[in-house]
Amino acid sequence: MVRYSFIEPRKKPLVSSFSKIWILFISFVSVLLILFGFFLLFKIHSYKTDAIKTKNSRILLEKKINDKDAYMEYLLRQKSLGEEIYTRNTLLKDSIKNLFDLVPDKITLNRVIIKKASLVIYGKTPTKDTFNFLLSAPLKSIFSTSNTMFYLTNSGWYNFVSTNKIASTDGFSE
Amino acid sequence: MDSVNKTDRSLEKINYVKLLIFLVVFIFIILLLISILILPNIKKYRVARGEFNQAMVHKTRVQSVLNEREKELKKLRLDNWKIFSAFKHDFSEEEFLAFTKQFFNKVSLKEVKQSSYTKEFEIYELNVTSSLKTPIKFYQFLNGLNHYNNIIQADFPIDLKSNGNLIYSSFKIKVYGLTPKKK
Repeated sequence: MVRYSFIEPRKKPLVSSFSKIWILFISFVSVLLILFGFFLLFKIHSYKTDAIKTKNSRILLEKKINDKDAYMEYLLRQKSLGEEIYTRNTLLKDSIKNLFDLVPDKITLNRVIIKKASLVIYGKTPTKDTFNFLLSAPLKSIFSTSNTMFYLTNSGWYNFVSTNKIASTDGFSE
Repeated sequence: MDSVNKTDRSLEKINYVKLLIFLVVFIFIILLLISILILPNIKKYRVARGEFNQAMVHKTRVQSVLNEREKELKKLRLDNWKIFSAFKHDFSEEEFLAFTKQFFNKVSLKEVKQSSYTKEFEIYELNVTSSLKTPIKFYQFLNGLNHYNNIIQADFPIDLKSNGNLIYSSFKIKVYGLTPKKK
C-alpha cells in the first residue's frame, strides 16, 4: 500500500462531540417531555376511573339514604301508633276514674257498661231526686242523650238504668 | 478515544452554523412535543381532575346527609326503644296472664280474632274477663298496660259488674304487632 501522508491515518469521528452533546441533550429533553406526557395520560385515566368509582359509591350512598328514610318513616309510624294507643289507654283510665268520681256516695252502682259511644249505668238510689241532682245533671252535660228509668224496690229505694249516648263519633272520652 | 479527542476540535472551535441548526431543531422538537403531547393532555387532565373533584364534593355532601340520617335514626330508636321493642315482642298469653295477676284475682282470656290493621300492623283481639277488688286495680292495670312488653290497647265494650265484694270485669284488648315480613 502506498502511503501519501507522513502521519498515520486517524479515524475521523462520524459525529463530532459538539453534535453528540446536542443530540444527547435533545434526546434527553424529548424523553422527559414524552414521559411527562405519559404521566399526564396516566393521571387522566386514573382521575376518570376514580370519578366513576366516586359516582358509583355516591349512588350507593343515596340508595342507603332512601332506605334509611323509608325505615325511619316506618319507625315513626310505629311510634305514633304506639303513642296513640298509650294515650287511648290513659284516656280510658281517666274516663272511668272520672265516672266513678262523679258518682256520689249515696248512689250505689251495680253495673257499668261502657261502649264506644254509649254508657249504661245500673244502680240504686235512695230517691229519684238524689239521682237527678247528683248524677243525672253531670251525665247530661257530657252526653247528648241521657235517659233514665227507675224501678221501686221493696226497701223503698230505686233501682235505675241510665242510658247515655254520644252523637259524635269521637267516642266516650270524658 | 484519546486519538479522537485530539482531532475533534468541535468543542474548542464552535461552528455557529451548526449551533444555530441544533438550536432550531431543538426548539422545533420541543414545540412539537409540547403541542402534540403536553398541551392537549394538560387540558384533558384539568377537565378530568375537575370532574373527579366535583364527584368527590358531591359524594361528601351525600355522605354527610347519610351520617345525619343515621344520627337521627339512632336517636329515634334510642328515644323510643320501648315502643319499638314492644311492637317486635311476640304476644304470649301466659306472659299476659302473669302480668294481669298483679291487678286481678281471676283472669281468663279468649281469642276473638286476628286481623291486619294496616299493611304493616296486625291486631290480635282478646276478651278478658276478670274479677277485681276495687276500681283502683283497674286504673292500675290500664297504667300498667302502657309499660307492658307488648303494645296493648284496652278497648270497649267494658262491662263492670259488682258482685258482693268483687267487681267482675269484661273487656276487650287489642294486641298490636308487626306483620311477619316487617319484623
